[in-house]
Amino acid sequence: MKGLNNKILEIDLSREEFKESLLIEEISEKYIGGRGIGVKLLSERLPSKLNPLDSKNLLIFTTGPFGGTNVPTNGRFSLVTKSPLTNGIFYSNSGGSFGIRMKRCGYDGILIQGTLREPGYIFIEDGKDPTIKEALKLWGKDTEQTLEELKKIEDKKINTLMIGPAGENLVRIASIMNDANRAFGRGGVGAVMGSKNLKAIVLKGGNNKFNIDNPKLLKKYVRVALDKIKIVPITRSSLPMFGTSALVNVINILGLFPINNFQKGYDERADLVSGEKINESLTQEKEGCFACPIRCGRLTKAGDMKGKGPEYESVWALGPNLGIFDLKTIAQANYLCNRYGLDTISSGGSISCGMELQEKGLLDEKSLKFGNVEILKQLVEKIAYKKGIGAQIGEGARLLANKYGDNECAAQVKGLELPAYDPRGAIGHALGYATSNRGGCHLTGYLASLEIFAAPKNIDRFTIAGKPDLLVLKQNQKAIEDSLVICTFAGWALGLDYYARFLKAITGIDFSVTDLTKIGERIYNLERLFNIREGFTQKDDTLPSRFLNEPFKEGPSKGHTVPLKTMLEQYYFVRGWNKEGIPKKKLIEKLGINFKI
Amino acid sequence: MYLDDSVYKVFKKVGHHLVSHGYNTSHSGNISIRSGGKIIIKRRSAMLGNLEPEDLVICDLKQEDSMSLIASTELGVHRAIYLETDAMAVIHAHNPFCVALSLIEDEITCIDAEGFAMYKKIPIIDVKIPAGAYYTSKEVPKILKNYPFVIVRSHGVFAKGMTLEDALQNVTGAEQSAYIRYLTLLTGKPLKRDFSKEKDFSLW
Repeated sequence: MKGLNNKILEIDLSREEFKESLLIEEISEKYIGGRGIGVKLLSERLPSKLNPLDSKNLLIFTTGPFGGTNVPTNGRFSLVTKSPLTNGIFYSNSGGSFGIRMKRCGYDGILIQGTLREPGYIFIEDGKDPTIKEALKLWGKDTEQTLEELKKIEDKKINTLMIGPAGENLVRIASIMNDANRAFGRGGVGAVMGSKNLKAIVLKGGNNKFNIDNPKLLKKYVRVALDKIKIVPITRSSLPMFGTSALVNVINILGLFPINNFQKGYDERADLVSGEKINESLTQEKEGCFACPIRCGRLTKAGDMKGKGPEYESVWALGPNLGIFDLKTIAQANYLCNRYGLDTISSGGSISCGMELQEKGLLDEKSLKFGNVEILKQLVEKIAYKKGIGAQIGEGARLLANKYGDNECAAQVKGLELPAYDPRGAIGHALGYATSNRGGCHLTGYLASLEIFAAPKNIDRFTIAGKPDLLVLKQNQKAIEDSLVICTFAGWALGLDYYARFLKAITGIDFSVTDLTKIGERIYNLERLFNIREGFTQKDDTLPSRFLNEPFKEGPSKGHTVPLKTMLEQYYFVRGWNKEGIPKKKLIEKLGINFKI
Repeated sequence: MYLDDSVYKVFKKVGHHLVSHGYNTSHSGNISIRSGGKIIIKRRSAMLGNLEPEDLVICDLKQEDSMSLIASTELGVHRAIYLETDAMAVIHAHNPFCVALSLIEDEITCIDAEGFAMYKKIPIIDVKIPAGAYYTSKEVPKILKNYPFVIVRSHGVFAKGMTLEDALQNVTGAEQSAYIRYLTLLTGKPLKRDFSKEKDFSLW
């Protein structure tokens, strides 16, 4: 397919072998790239019920047809693997420039299997044979130190993926860091990389050109798209001015800003950690990914530490979720998570779980207390190095709560800790958490765009009607966005009508908006089938009972719970799944999926 | 199947807007949403500008059912749109300026700022028998796969949206662009600046 190199680099670490495999046109037309191709490859190759930390697990990094073109926000790329945190399929998405360089080095994807005998890193330079190099001296270093060393060894102009000590120590909430300050954050993917003794992947050079069907037409479409990005308030001003933390005050005044492990949904102190306050006290410089006109990133300084972020989810997870409203502490804990290679949402969600267990007298760890600013940075370090209580917190909230006998203290779905929107304040968004293939994830469906941000139009956040249908559409659309690959924030201004036109100009194939949605549906159903094969059932499509049975006693979302049962029945029906949540044979045939449960 | 108060309120608000702003006559036009694998649509012959709760009918999304006895005449078009596109809400209105321009143009390129930011162009199609569902249900969804609306020549507009209000904005946005274009055509003078040509909106 035009717009791709149609080539995947396969690496067997156990044998230290490299192989280039061709991407068949039929597959790329059916799964496009990014998440779609990753899901297709994983589902074909991964043995059933495999331990995610087994050598046979795969790490599949992929870019898509938009990558490296002039389509705005195309700097993102995908990772697909089996998660040690959820034991299910896991797709993740990161920004920066690594994906673009991968494509310019001639590869649409890098598929990694096996385990190195000793710690090492993969080195890929455009035009040369890829190699594996030893990393004994890098092992144990944090991500900033590792990046610095790699630049000394290889070149300043490199892009890297790497793990920190958390990934090396197989912490289940470890992330893979991208040039040390961006992340494939969620799902414990860093532990998968650690289990392979793989410290880093380094890319250098990259002048490879790929074929675009009609560059002139693409240029015209892109000009129109850039005009749109400039006039939509969220992409023109909110995100560029305040970063993602622009959300703090909005979510709080609507009463779904989780406080103290989802025990409240509103706090008057929220403004202390808002985008405005971050600008005033932390921001040094604004920053963006490759080809991004939005530039939501922030380079910040907190006390004697510097780094990137914190983003909205991280501010919340390491802040108000723990009863902490001190920006300096939150930012420093965020920097440490990045250095050690830890997911900020899961770190915060697991710590808050521990704090509630302690509050209830189930866990004897006195310092683990909501609002305890002093303990946070030490805790992050303990998690990364599996020290003391940190070893248990690093297993994730679900295992931690289970160990101490109160599963309700774990705000998670399918093992993945929930992000910064209380389900009781937006019930369609809540259904998205319950049904996401990767677990408690806000991005897989993001019905909050309508329920909270009225994009494209407002829909009552507490009403059921239409929500399952809208969620199915949004989940399918997100699957295709992750496959093209394009940033989710571009969607605030653009959307599938733009993407279909870009794709047509790039590939020469007349994809309609409806065609793209159907490809998204195919990807979503294949992920679902994979999870069913791994043992997931309808019982996993749920939320902790506090969200179903315990309404907020105060705040703007007072009195509401999530009517999940009714919505879920409709959701299955709309999806074409049976009452047990299994895709029907007729649907599988219609979508052209070839996968046996 | 739920038909809660908030759904009725949105139908009432949108229906009232369409009639009071001249997009439909007292009983013409139809509006619907998809919900839980069903279509909620205006009842046939109900006054669009003054809908009551019982004027909302729930029909099967995928096949004809007995509720089609009382559902809007153009239920078949709505159903086809839902089955073939990503529409979550559909409005059919008789926008006067869109209909007027459809009789003299093959597509309406937007020359107003709102129109070119939102839509670029408004496609027009010919249908053998423009009223009723038989022919329109075959042709309209093909266009709505890639555009938020389409004008059926001499008849009216079919618009889709994520919500009913979103579809309403598309109906009213199309009319605004058609109105501006109509007014400039009426002057007979050349445009000082035509963004639609500068940006090749006819390629959209």
